[in-house]
Amino acid sequence: MCLAVPMKITAIDGFICRCEARGIEREVSLFMMQDDDLGIGDNILVHVGYAIQKVSEQEAAESWELFDEMLAAEI
Amino acid sequence: MKDAAQWLEELRGLNIAEPVRIMNVCGGHERSISLAGLRKAIPENIELIPGPGCPVCVCPEEDVYEAIQIALHEDVVLVAFGDMLRVPVNVPKSEPRSLEQAKAAGADIRPIASPTEAVKIAKEEAPRKVVFFAAGFETTTAPVAAMLDEGAPENLLVLLSGRLTWPAVAMLLDSESPGFDALVAPGHVATVMGPEEWEFVVAKHQLPAAVAGFRPDTLLAAMYSVLEQFKTGRRHLDNCYPEVVRAGGNARAREQLNTVMAVYDANWRGVGIIPNSGFRLRDAYAAHDARQVFKSYADTSRKRVGEMPPGCDCARVVLGKIYPNHCRLYGVACTPRKPIGPCMVSDEGACRIWWSSGYRENLWEGGKKERSGA
Ligand code: SF4
Repeated sequence: MCLAVPMKITAIDGFICRCEARGIEREVSLFMMQDDDLGIGDNILVHVGYAIQKVSEQEAAESWELFDEMLAAEI
Repeated sequence: MKDAAQWLEELRGLNIAEPVRIMNVCGGHERSISLAGLRKAIPENIELIPGPGCPVCVCPEEDVYEAIQIALHEDVVLVAFGDMLRVPVNVPKSEPRSLEQAKAAGADIRPIASPTEAVKIAKEEAPRKVVFFAAGFETTTAPVAAMLDEGAPENLLVLLSGRLTWPAVAMLLDSESPGFDALVAPGHVATVMGPEEWEFVVAKHQLPAAVAGFRPDTLLAAMYSVLEQFKTGRRHLDNCYPEVVRAGGNARAREQLNTVMAVYDANWRGVGIIPNSGFRLRDAYAAHDARQVFKSYADTSRKRVGEMPPGCDCARVVLGKIYPNHCRLYGVACTPRKPIGPCMVSDEGACRIWWSSGYRENLWEGGKKERSGA
């Protein structure tokens, strides 16, 4: 439940955006991020369907590497 | 930026001879530590202790019972994060012991992964009431507050069991034997609430502290930081996750939390009341508060009300007093397939994490087995 994952914004409609990460698509709420100027291509840290912070491209990529390893370790 | 191997080398290079116990308070941290095998990688005298990092584990037994009863006796759909569905309560075998069993008994209970799903279900089911049983720490509770602040459907009610992480650490540090010498603070809680919440560890208790992210490199950077602080005697709250954790956290999220919820002295399962450790809905949101809308199903005459299941040492695991495999039931009667306590149910529970990371030996002190390889 507490795992937050970085995702890339692909479309924005009001407080809702579409995000993508590793081929998975999600609708994510930007309601907690309304003070930030977010656009398509930006990366956000997503927790239970809400963006909680903006993250850099590098941070997003490195986090995903870890998740790949963790998933691989669990199978 | 140094990688994990470099941090490990630096950490070893500190040459600390005395035992140091570093506590983490986040299931995500414990997961990374266990899966990456960091305990075996660092010097033997450095202990890594999983502390209060699992909101599912400390969710009051009475609240789970309440959720089960509401689902069984009111005409509602009950939604909850998937982890909550298998958490057991103490009732006779003839009654449903978990939300999962209540569902099997006919209650309309559905797992969700986001508050936005609760909103969606409420819209579809209107005017039928949808009750969102929401347990979680700050990172999870803030989105629940955001959902209500944005304006949730009238028929969506929240049964809130939100908890704050720092008060549990404060309680441990105020006690006679905290059981740790340094703290690795939770990165995503700090992302929302700001790292400043953890200043008290340094200012009031003079313990080294560092906020960490979830990759082995940032965890090792935080471990290096607290050990270096330990060695030099110069304490400060270090931020080893600056990529995401910023001063003040997410100000908008904190404002939404504060608008919708108040902080109160709350009960932790098996632990008791911890001052300022729980979220409750403010009066302005009474119409969305399941605790106000329904009569309470609390039954204080119930056997073992509020306690862990018989034999389960989850509360002491949560407080970092024992390691998971020091519970007499660990791996014997209690496994992820047949969990006895919440620490084996939840993905964030230390027992579950240790079991899935390959710790299979039971080291219960009263056991017959020698503590070989401990
Ligand atoms: S191993 Fe099972 S019974 Fe023991 S503390 Fe963990 S959850 Fe409870």
